[in-house]
Amino acid sequence: MKVPVSWLREYVDIDVPLADLAERLAVASAEVERVASVGVADEGQNLEQFVVGRVLEAAKHPNADRLQLCQVDVGSTEPAQIVCGAWNFGAGATVAVARPGATLPGGMELKRVKLRGEHSEGMILAEDEVDLGKDHDGIMLLDGALSPGTPLSDVLPLVDDVLEMEVTGNRPDLLSIYGLARDVAALLDSELRSPPGVEPELAGGESVPIEIHDFDGCPRYIGRSFTDVSVGPSPQWLRTRLHRSGVRSISNVVDITNYVMLTFGSPLHAFDLDLLRGRRVGVRRAEKGERVRTLDSVERILTPADMVIIDGERAIALAAIMGGEDTEVSDDTTSVLLEAANFEPVGILQTSERLGLRTEGSNRWEKGVDPQQAALAATLASQLLVELCGATLEYAGDESEGLPQRPRIAFRPARASALIGTEIDGAEQRAILERLGFDVQADGSPGSPADADAWIVTGPSWRARDVVREVDLVEEVARVYGLEKVPFTLPARRELFGRLTQEQRLRRRVEDALAGAGYSEAYTWSLASEDVREDAMRLPTPLSAEHAVLRTNLVEGLVNAASLNRDAGNRDIALFELTRVYLPSGDQLPDERWHVGGIAEGGYFAAKGAVEMLHELMGAEPRFERAAQPFLHPGKSASVASGWLGELHPRVLEGEWGMFELDLATLFAEVPERRLYDDVITYPAVHQDLAFVVDHALLAGELIGAIRDSGGPLLRRARVFDVYEGDQLPQGKKSIAVSVSFQSDSATLSDDDARGLREQIVEALQERLGAELRA
Amino acid sequence: MDVQALEQEANKAILGAGTSDELDAVRVRYLGRNAELPQALRDVRDKETGRTLNEARRRLSEAVEARAEELESEELERRLAEEVVDITLPGTVIQPGHLHLITQIRREIEDIFLGLGYEVVDGREVETTYYNFTALNMPTWHPARSPLASLYLDDDTVLRTETSPAQIHTMEQREPPIYMVSLGRVYRRDTPDATHVPIFHQVEGLAVGEGITLADLKGTLRHVMRALFGEERDIRFRTHYFPFTEPSIEPDVSCFLCDGDGCNVCRHSGWIEMGGAGMVDPALYEFVGYDAERFSGFAFGLGLERIAMLRHGLPDLRQLWDNDLRLLQQF
Repeated sequence: MKVPVSWLREYVDIDVPLADLAERLAVASAEVERVASVGVADEGQNLEQFVVGRVLEAAKHPNADRLQLCQVDVGSTEPAQIVCGAWNFGAGATVAVARPGATLPGGMELKRVKLRGEHSEGMILAEDEVDLGKDHDGIMLLDGALSPGTPLSDVLPLVDDVLEMEVTGNRPDLLSIYGLARDVAALLDSELRSPPGVEPELAGGESVPIEIHDFDGCPRYIGRSFTDVSVGPSPQWLRTRLHRSGVRSISNVVDITNYVMLTFGSPLHAFDLDLLRGRRVGVRRAEKGERVRTLDSVERILTPADMVIIDGERAIALAAIMGGEDTEVSDDTTSVLLEAANFEPVGILQTSERLGLRTEGSNRWEKGVDPQQAALAATLASQLLVELCGATLEYAGDESEGLPQRPRIAFRPARASALIGTEIDGAEQRAILERLGFDVQADGSPGSPADADAWIVTGPSWRARDVVREVDLVEEVARVYGLEKVPFTLPARRELFGRLTQEQRLRRRVEDALAGAGYSEAYTWSLASEDVREDAMRLPTPLSAEHAVLRTNLVEGLVNAASLNRDAGNRDIALFELTRVYLPSGDQLPDERWHVGGIAEGGYFAAKGAVEMLHELMGAEPRFERAAQPFLHPGKSASVASGWLGELHPRVLEGEWGMFELDLATLFAEVPERRLYDDVITYPAVHQDLAFVVDHALLAGELIGAIRDSGGPLLRRARVFDVYEGDQLPQGKKSIAVSVSFQSDSATLSDDDARGLREQIVEALQERLGAELRA
Repeated sequence: MDVQALEQEANKAILGAGTSDELDAVRVRYLGRNAELPQALRDVRDKETGRTLNEARRRLSEAVEARAEELESEELERRLAEEVVDITLPGTVIQPGHLHLITQIRREIEDIFLGLGYEVVDGREVETTYYNFTALNMPTWHPARSPLASLYLDDDTVLRTETSPAQIHTMEQREPPIYMVSLGRVYRRDTPDATHVPIFHQVEGLAVGEGITLADLKGTLRHVMRALFGEERDIRFRTHYFPFTEPSIEPDVSCFLCDGDGCNVCRHSGWIEMGGAGMVDPALYEFVGYDAERFSGFAFGLGLERIAMLRHGLPDLRQLWDNDLRLLQQF
């Protein structure tokens, strides 16, 4: 919301520098995004260059058909000759003049110039040239009573500041200049003037019956009829206030409704009364499929959740959101029905969301507007219609039902101090609440928190929605007392929780190990385009086709990341991701499991090395078995208890990419809660290298498995270190060289011991696998 | 035999030996099996002469040993002198992997709160609307509930829009005191641009116990901001509105780039918005069955991406999801 400070000052005294006010508001009321200086720059002598002028002569420029050559009295001894492009005036007009040396908003500096051969000493101003409005159709015409040479800043608000504020949804009362003035008065402890508006004389005349069919949706409807309305442009002060508030000037009648909305935060609407059929007005829910053409010339198709304003025959406006085209005020309008109503927020929000139609009005209604403001708004709007449009107030109706009561709240000032964490004097708390418009009834001696058990605090109508509980009053006290005065303390602790779970520590361990091994960590989307599992959970309305399925594995994300890196020309690509996947569980919520996946250049054995490394960290012995995955090379893929690994199928990504994915809960399940000391130091191990000739088809893992089975408890380690196939071996055979070691934790093994163990293994392998010890 | 002369001659030869090989030859000549001195020792008959010869042999042996050590040192030094390398040539490559920037920030924050005695709770990412909205006191009409704002799997199931559902689960499970943070992915239906990605990361924390105050929130957040942005940082609270806290505030940290003088990062205000916080709204205690008269507490939320952007100058959040090694390896 844009708040012209000169307007705000009309309702409240501001005796602090503007920057301090902005800071105070930002901390205690609502965000101040910017304090903007608007209009003419008040720097040096600049303002003095803007004066009232009277046109003495005005004639066509001798060398230009579109220009006028004017002699203008600007209060000096000699008139100034000024060339002007506007034609909406003639001799005798009182105008606004910028003299040479003036700097206009936007930074242009005026100089004495020659235009088509004639001197021009300054500029006769249109409102947009001094940021008083948007109009550029003609120059501004001022009150003829003003004398030439009068400083223009005495006549027009050439200089102003605008607070650009972002108001939170709980404070619709701040979406108005007068409402903001109330908060400013409370914050600065300064005087708030009475709300503007003087009720004009009620001339009397034909009534306009008001019929509310749904008081839940429309608890109040004030309707007032006016005759003798003369529609035309608004006076400059009104145009400028709207302009500086970011609202376009349309016509005096429409401008008045907008101006009053900005003043009190309660939106109004003006209908051309002559276009209302049956000279009556009402509010009801729309019928299914009912249509109304709104002011933006769009035909809206409605549902029974929407509210409409009706005349004697039909829907004439989309209530609270936008007026209807059929009953719009036009230049020909002479009688007006002014609507100052109140609408319930939730329905308005839903209608406005469904139609994708948000207006200044709906933005206020959807937050909940105080129905009491409608009466203030009706009064001020009536006064202005009479004063600015020459209108006569003919009839005034006000229908309402079930208007909310002002909330009464039991409040303990001691509780406020306790929650805020600093002792705030009861008298000060009371003063804060009263400045904000709360009535305080203290049973104990006033202002003494020790004696006061609970005060009864009655809230003002404009806070009836968001201040209903004791804690809401605590917030009011805290923000006006000053959040900056609240000290910095830490909770007094009686219990501590500062430790990671074992699972959390192991996840970090996995991340660190992979990073140490050269894998960088990738973050990829939880939502994939497709998933190998057909029952993977899908978003019914996804962000895009690429992000439609809650993934059950990390493949797509990692493959895309590897592919991006390859295309970028990066080398030694190795990536991992440790995050969650979402397995359908048959229930409402999926089984969310932590997975770690990796992708690296180097094919199957790159993946296998990483998987082995992670198992070693966990103290686990993985068992690799052939297992296929659709995205893996059929001959280079395997499974372990916690997942899979393999070389990526070349159709998925070109090159030799190793990939793996493990379920962490399964991997971590093998980690013992505590590890016990194993004496591998005291007695030396005996190492032996053995080579076995076996069938070509035998997997090395099967050979190692057989060695483990037959090696007995003293076998400490068995590892393949070479595989040979070639001329020195019979067809269909290969040699697998294995390094084994034996160790006891209670004695040094002798050569004889080792020989016995070795023979035990050799015999078993010959028997089970037909393996021959190679000489 | 003139032992003295022989010893003199041998000593001279020992000192004269310039290499190990020459020394070896000298040793053979004077102390070898067939050399004069050992021969004489073999033939000696009287005790006196024997002792003299023996001592001479011992001295010579020692001299040879000493010279050998000298020569060895000299040779080693010569060899080392020849082995000088260009010490600025690259080392054997050990290419470290890098943890993602968000992981690094996440751990940093976890560690700050572990130090403050908080536990780290991993909440679910797919939540019921009850835990994601209702129990956080968000009314049925709250804009965040709109399918235009949030990602729904069905009418009752949503990808969490903040990590705070974990707070409700934790409060349901046990009585205060509770000191917890939850960090992780959250989801909103945003159109991706430089400052929005529909998936991003939050840390949200909760402290509930007896006598916890707004001042405690202020002290806690100042500690966190100083840990993240430097010990000089100041903090201020601005009043705000959230359905799940009352009073609600937004914490600002004093700008670490301009120290409050005004710059583009702080939009010339000297302050940078850091998230949302406040005292837990008593309505939440009703949902979880706590006694709102006995317990009070605070809650807060910060965006990890925001910290990445502010502190590391990251210009475009979408790059965090590209996983380009050229970016990952910077952090």
